[in-house]
Amino acid sequence: MLPVSDPSVHNPIQIDPELCIRCNLCDWICPGDIIYKEENNKQTMPVVAYPDECWYCGLCESTCPTDAITVVFPERMLRNQTDVVTLLGKVV
Amino acid sequence: MRADWRTIDTDLLVIGGGVAGSMAAIPALEAGLDVVVCEKGRVLDNCGSVGCGVDHYLTVMESGPEWDTPEFLLRHLPQLTDGIVDMAVASRVIHEMPRILRKIEGMGVDFKDPRTGDYSRHRSFGLPGAYHINFDGTDFKRKIGKHVRAGKATVLMRTMAVQLLVEENRAYGALAFNFRTGEWIAIRAKAVALTAGDVNRLSENASGLAFDSWHFPYNTGDAQAMAFRAGAALTNMEFTEATLTPKGFSAQGLNAVVSMGAYFLNKHGERFMFRYDEKGENARRAVLADAVINEYLLGNGPIYLDCRHLPEEELDHMEETLQVDRYTLPAFYRQKGVSFRTDLIEVSISELSIRRSGVYFRGSGLAVDTTGETSVEGLFAAGDCASVSGGIAGAAVLGHIAGEGAVVRMRATYGARPDIDWADAERIRAEAEAALGRAGGMPWKAFEGTIRRTVSDYVGVRRSERGLRLALETLAALAVKEGELAASDLHGLMRVQESRNIRLNTEIMATAALARTETRTRSAHRRVDHPEPDNENWRKFVLVEKGPDGRPSVRAIDAGRPLADSFARRSQSQTEGSLPYAAGL
Ligand SMILES: Cc1cc2nc3c(=O)[nH]c(=O)nc-3n(C[C@H](O)[C@H](O)[C@H](O)COP(=O)(O)OP(=O)(O)OC[C@H]3O[C@@H](n4cnc5c(N)ncnc54)[C@H](O)[C@@H]3O)c2cc1C
Ligand code: SF4
Ligand code: SF4
Repeated sequence: MLPVSDPSVHNPIQIDPELCIRCNLCDWICPGDIIYKEENNKQTMPVVAYPDECWYCGLCESTCPTDAITVVFPERMLRNQTDVVTLLGKVV
Repeated sequence: MRADWRTIDTDLLVIGGGVAGSMAAIPALEAGLDVVVCEKGRVLDNCGSVGCGVDHYLTVMESGPEWDTPEFLLRHLPQLTDGIVDMAVASRVIHEMPRILRKIEGMGVDFKDPRTGDYSRHRSFGLPGAYHINFDGTDFKRKIGKHVRAGKATVLMRTMAVQLLVEENRAYGALAFNFRTGEWIAIRAKAVALTAGDVNRLSENASGLAFDSWHFPYNTGDAQAMAFRAGAALTNMEFTEATLTPKGFSAQGLNAVVSMGAYFLNKHGERFMFRYDEKGENARRAVLADAVINEYLLGNGPIYLDCRHLPEEELDHMEETLQVDRYTLPAFYRQKGVSFRTDLIEVSISELSIRRSGVYFRGSGLAVDTTGETSVEGLFAAGDCASVSGGIAGAAVLGHIAGEGAVVRMRATYGARPDIDWADAERIRAEAEAALGRAGGMPWKAFEGTIRRTVSDYVGVRRSERGLRLALETLAALAVKEGELAASDLHGLMRVQESRNIRLNTEIMATAALARTETRTRSAHRRVDHPEPDNENWRKFVLVEKGPDGRPSVRAIDAGRPLADSFARRSQSQTEGSLPYAAGL
């Protein structure tokens, strides 16, 4: 059984079902084991099973033979509000 | 054979099929030996840190000028590493650089700039010469991986090594499992090469996303953790590495941008880098990161990257090459709606990794000798998990050296490999599998979250005895929770193993950091309670090994001597020609 993704988590990998030819390459190439595509089944689409474990490397996007994949960054990356000083440790 | 297990006997087992692992496999394949590569990824040609490509390669080429010789670079090494470097191993690596460069070129990697037909060499990161070749390395890993596959190595993909097999300080294989099929594999080998990369996911960053990391988030210090448990010595684990990234996305690209002449500005518009180093933006990475940290602490943030003054053709070239190192960086800027041609780019400090603290040739990880062998016989290490490293070149060169060293070791060995202790193997497997669907268990994400908060607060860029002790308390308490970790599927089982390894690495890091009562290489190891370098007492390596209680225990070793002098095993030269397995004695 393929894993299912949690809809409340930002999905970094958008796959266009019109363009996708169900070739499995994105599943094979992903270094993080994020994308699951059922083998030998041209009916099923790839599933972004672990969206919050994506590295945003884009290897899937660059490998997809039909350009069906777009990497989409979440707001917290694009318009980041973190105060950098909070990353610099506490002095005790 | 054993029901429910796949068993494999081989000559060399390589754990991690990245740059170092692939290069380690090659000499063994060339010697006609049997090689098994165990790798978490699915496609050898793309797996590891540089699956998407690289853009610079550090090497000596002996092209004529004095700076381009091993001797010249070696003379500068103590200064480049703040006096903490294993000169014996670094010397071997640097001397082998030209040979390995030619070898990689022979595999079809083109290091030349197509515009000029020549090598495009640049001086950056404080190095005393133009040692970096800037090149389009999109295919770099692919070419090396192809070469390994052509050599007929057996590649176990989507397979995570979880435990080394060691008997009487002699390595003879590993246990691993495939996280897609759930199959468990016991591999017996005459030698093992650990090449599983650096340690990531150990501290927080601006986006708060654990897998948004500058370095490869799927390298989780598995080699360091497995080797520690098996009794091997680690060193330089106190040093952390951070870089400067566009805020919100922990991406690379700094090297290219800085070597082309970009500036850093603080909120007052001041170009502050010269206040920290006479080389300004061309200082070592550790210095650049430290300066930005300091500016933020002084209240001078936000800090910006300024490329606007660069000539048009440089900007064009930058735009073309930006995506070579991190394919998605142009998309990030596009989706964010900024352009480095016209806008200032806000920068942040990245999360930390344990790697080589922004310093070439001073690696954090397994202490190795000049043949790449660790303190455990038959156990070799190279790449970002070894005590001498330096990006893809360091990984390639020491990887190749380790592969050759393993061949010598295997040839000098006779007798049968020890039998697998099946009771032990079953116990390890049962403990790992128990996480699956554990009711009321602790999710690995929560466990890792606590590690990251603890490290950022107390083991990060500002350390003190009190903070480190607090962190060690929390990390020790988490160790107890390891038996309660839960996963909902096989993929999660892999993550649980990774989380355990991350925790152990951070405990080792905090222990080593507590021992080093000085500050060295700025924020790579800053003790606010010992703010100055102490050359009198601390020209030393901190060596970490498993103590009698199973916890990290430290020894300070004179940095003027090779680390191998402190190894308790027989060296290769001592045993010329004949070395029985302990079991065959
Ligand atoms: C995006 C990016 C760009 C970079 N660009 C450059 C550059 O241009 N020039 C440069 O010099 N350096 C660059 N670096 C750094 C460089 O990639 C590393 O220094 C180098 O790859 C280290 O090689 P390695 O073999 O130690 O690790 P890796 O190449 O990362 O290989 C480690 C391998 O081990 C596998 N592994 C980990 N744990 C296990 C386990 N338990 N079981 C089985 N397998 C395991 C991983 O899946 C991985 O494939 C870059 C890094 C990144 C992330
Ligand atoms: S690589 Fe592209 S075409 Fe192939 S399955 Fe994935 S999305 Fe579909
Ligand atoms: S961007 Fe990278 S990590 Fe994310 S799904 Fe694609 S290949 Fe995997």
